[in-house]
Amino acid sequence: MNELIALGFQLFMLVTAIAVVFQKNNFTVIILMSVYSLIAATLYMFNQAPDVAIAEVAINAAIIPLIYVIAISRQREIIVYDTLHHGDITPGKVFEGEIYTYLYTFSKKNKLRLNVCSDLEGDDATLIREMNVDFIITKEEETYVLKGKSHHMLMKKMVKELKQHPHIRTELIEEGHDLD
Amino acid sequence: MVEAMNEFGVLYNDEARLYFQTNGFLETGSLNLVTGIYLDYRLLDTLFEAGILLVAVSGVSWIAQHDHIEHNPLFMLDRFKIPELFVSIARVLYPIVLLFGIYVVFNGHLAPGGGFQGGSILATALLILYYIDLNKKTNLTRIFFIEKVLYLLLLLISSLSFFTRGFLFTNVVSPDMGVAWQSVFLITLNVLIGAKVALGLTAIFIAFLKEGR
Repeated sequence: MNELIALGFQLFMLVTAIAVVFQKNNFTVIILMSVYSLIAATLYMFNQAPDVAIAEVAINAAIIPLIYVIAISRQREIIVYDTLHHGDITPGKVFEGEIYTYLYTFSKKNKLRLNVCSDLEGDDATLIREMNVDFIITKEEETYVLKGKSHHMLMKKMVKELKQHPHIRTELIEEGHDLD
Repeated sequence: MVEAMNEFGVLYNDEARLYFQTNGFLETGSLNLVTGIYLDYRLLDTLFEAGILLVAVSGVSWIAQHDHIEHNPLFMLDRFKIPELFVSIARVLYPIVLLFGIYVVFNGHLAPGGGFQGGSILATALLILYYIDLNKKTNLTRIFFIEKVLYLLLLLISSLSFFTRGFLFTNVVSPDMGVAWQSVFLITLNVLIGAKVALGLTAIFIAFLKEGR
């Protein structure tokens, strides 16, 4: 009987492993991976290895998914540093201005999450190089200036789109060739 | 001693298993033979394993280092909407997970578990805390300092046996003193390893969060 149950778990494990490969949504993949390691832990229990089972559950079903959730939610986010509203950004509040509507439609079109922040310190080059800030907004009289890395894929797209725009100007920041 | 062929024709023997089953408890004072092996017979391996975790944590923190003033290092979490259901269940689960982690660490020599497993359960509890309280601030340099001190303590306590028994990296208390005294050493090492692992995994998580902003 025990062997039959173990065989069933092994088949279920195979199914989840194949589902991980073919699933497209990243968060579903995380859940499936933790399901996979829960089944693996059950199989360790069947083979009289409770210590390994506890380690498997604690590491692969709890900590690794938490870290993956952070890493993947980062992947689909653009961080914009706003110098115009220094220090008074409240979550959920929408600003008026052409650049904000443009960024909003841009992020909707590319299925990204927009993260406008204002509580950083440092000059433009170091902010972009070290703090993972994607874009910086400043204003010169009536035109908004959008600064970004010259090698950034999204920046190249934006430069193409904003060529004809009357109130938004783009500015490229050359990236240093340090570590990578 | 039993020597036999399994169905694939490979010769195996259960000498080691029988040795540990008959002598393991008497020599190490640990009911859980796994703990007996990694905290007594093979303590040197455990020390190197803890050292590998220390190197990994310092590598992650070196790659993710920033020398900027950060007002709110967990800024990205408040943009990233956490479901209320998750937060309210996490509030209920947090003390239970913490208690279970401490139980696993302290009972490592009696029941399945031990320093590494309990430490990672404790780390899970600490990570849940970051989802509950978004404005929580942590001093990373202090965490690294405590972790290094714990590792040095681990090395020191495990090499104390050279003065009491004449061998390096084994139980400080000799088996003649009784199981109760031997388990004091096992609990001490388990607590040290558990605290070190919990702090190390939390430090990796915080480094990811900071890199993420």
